[in-house]
Amino acid sequence: MSFIEFKNVCKRYPGSDKNTVDNFTLDIEEKEFIAFVGPSGCGKSTTLRMIAGFEEITGGELYIDGKKMNEVAPRDRGISMVFQNYALYPHMTVEKNIGYGLKNMKMPSDQIKQKVDWAIKVLGLEEYRYRKPKNLSGGQRQRVALGRAIVKNSKVFLMDEPLSNLDAKLRVSMRTEISKLHRQIGATTIYVTHDQVEAMTMADRIVIMKDGVIQQVGRPMELYDHPVNQFVAGFIGSPQMNFFDVTVDNGTVRFSDGSTMTLSEGMLKKLNGRQGEMVLGIRGEDIKMDAQNMELNNENMQHAVITDTEVMGNENNLYFNFGGSQAVARVSKYEISQIGDRVNFVFMPSKMHFFDKETGVNYTEAV
Amino acid sequence: MVTKKQKRINWILVAVLLVLSIFFLFPVIWMLANSFKPDAAITADMNSIAAFIPPAPDGSFFDNYVQIITNTSFLRYMVNTLLYAAILIVLSIVVNGLAGYALAKIRFPFRDQWLMIIIMLLIVPTETVITIHFLIIAKAGLLNTIVGYILPLIVNPFNIFLFRQVFVSLPDDVYEAAQLDFCGPVKYFFTMVLPMSKTVVATVSVFTFLNVWNDYLWPSLVFTSSDLLTAQIGLNSITSNENTTMGQTLAVITLITIPVIIIYSLFSKQIVEGVTSTGSKEG
Repeated sequence: MSFIEFKNVCKRYPGSDKNTVDNFTLDIEEKEFIAFVGPSGCGKSTTLRMIAGFEEITGGELYIDGKKMNEVAPRDRGISMVFQNYALYPHMTVEKNIGYGLKNMKMPSDQIKQKVDWAIKVLGLEEYRYRKPKNLSGGQRQRVALGRAIVKNSKVFLMDEPLSNLDAKLRVSMRTEISKLHRQIGATTIYVTHDQVEAMTMADRIVIMKDGVIQQVGRPMELYDHPVNQFVAGFIGSPQMNFFDVTVDNGTVRFSDGSTMTLSEGMLKKLNGRQGEMVLGIRGEDIKMDAQNMELNNENMQHAVITDTEVMGNENNLYFNFGGSQAVARVSKYEISQIGDRVNFVFMPSKMHFFDKETGVNYTEAV
Repeated sequence: MVTKKQKRINWILVAVLLVLSIFFLFPVIWMLANSFKPDAAITADMNSIAAFIPPAPDGSFFDNYVQIITNTSFLRYMVNTLLYAAILIVLSIVVNGLAGYALAKIRFPFRDQWLMIIIMLLIVPTETVITIHFLIIAKAGLLNTIVGYILPLIVNPFNIFLFRQVFVSLPDDVYEAAQLDFCGPVKYFFTMVLPMSKTVVATVSVFTFLNVWNDYLWPSLVFTSSDLLTAQIGLNSITSNENTTMGQTLAVITLITIPVIIIYSLFSKQIVEGVTSTGSKEG
């Protein structure tokens, strides 16, 4: 039995005619770090709040450590939570914020002190111990919120977009800190974010949601390389996967601007005889402009004029119009092009994805 | 940056406000200056600028005050009033605070309608319900008791509204975090909600104190025993006594004004914040 089990969990708000979370079924193993990602309103935070007990489960069952939790009060679920806006107690010092839960658990004061000291040390909050939240920076406040969660020895940590209020640099360092804490403490962690980079870098597995429904569950690279549908393909990865409206006919891909490409044997096999109008997807780094790849795929070489460039330092993003859409290629920092340059490129034959135009299902991934 | 024109306008405003403040302050200065004088000196100085200048301190400087404190029960009335105010402040915060919290954060049937009724009660003048209060208290046999005096004053629609307006903006996630920290709803109210709403607690405390301190009608109806009287009734009985001199009258008025001035000077910020945060003022 898994540590956390969702069995067809649904959430419908009064007065609504559809479920905000629909038939959510998922098994989470003990000590796993799992991220719920999706656009705003996809139901990820609602699902997290159902685990915490702040939202009523209107259908299905939720089990934590083998116990059914549908009717259990939040305090009795054995969970800790880190909130998006920190939810610190403004009139208490850092030390009191962290120790408040332990005090209410009637833990002896020497043990409280020991635990609070440990959390303060682990989180590097020694010099802020007697400060109140209003005198702390965003990152420090988030660390206090983490401290409040870790001292209670809860088996489940819930984190609701904990880094969304921090600046970009701090977000990166806090990401590392949270991952480190997870390894150190080993609690099962469910992390909600709309930032796919956070999910990719921190989670053991990612759950991608849209309109209250799970789209795909898998390891980060599994989702990146093998998206089951166009939504997942577009959501994971930055810059976003390039999409083109195409027609596949007798092994040839025809783009809306008349350009054509011949499909490889492997791709034809994956398509399993499917023909007609589809959406072709390819990631920026799978559009190649180097001589070696050009030579290998000479018959499918295409041309375009660079319309925009993004110098990222370690790589360059080159934008161009092709196949009736704007596309972006991710090339190495040594492949320098300027706006207006005419470039040759090829799509890596094995890296193309073909999606159903109506349902978005990825034909090239066995479902 | 402040321009020259703005600076000039500021100076004019300061001058106008200064004149206005003198206009409002002069009866207070007159009262204070004459409270140290014997009646003969008050009458002699009446038509001159000396009416606003206290006498030179000598052995009889505080005579009027000493007379009031030693020969009347005024000090006792002041202590009584302070005690009633203290009890009412605590009860007001607890009762009206809990009601305000329920209206702000707890979902129950007809909550908005309840709030509307409470808002409507704000326009009902105290004088219209005082007869009913009196009849109930008399029927309950609580006339001339502290309980009888305090009971009808605890629930105050304005205070409920004030609390509700502040509590409604408290973040819900703090309550959720407290729940996970094993904090129940009652403990949450006393250890989280009230400390997080210090401004409104201070405002309600000040308003309650001023209401009790300045109230004349209700205590005069409830209390008959002189042991339980409040400062305002004491003031009336002392000043209407034909043996009380004008200087003593002014001394007793000065004494009764002191706590109000102290409260206003200490809590003026909270009073302004409390009133502006609701967009209304106490009627």
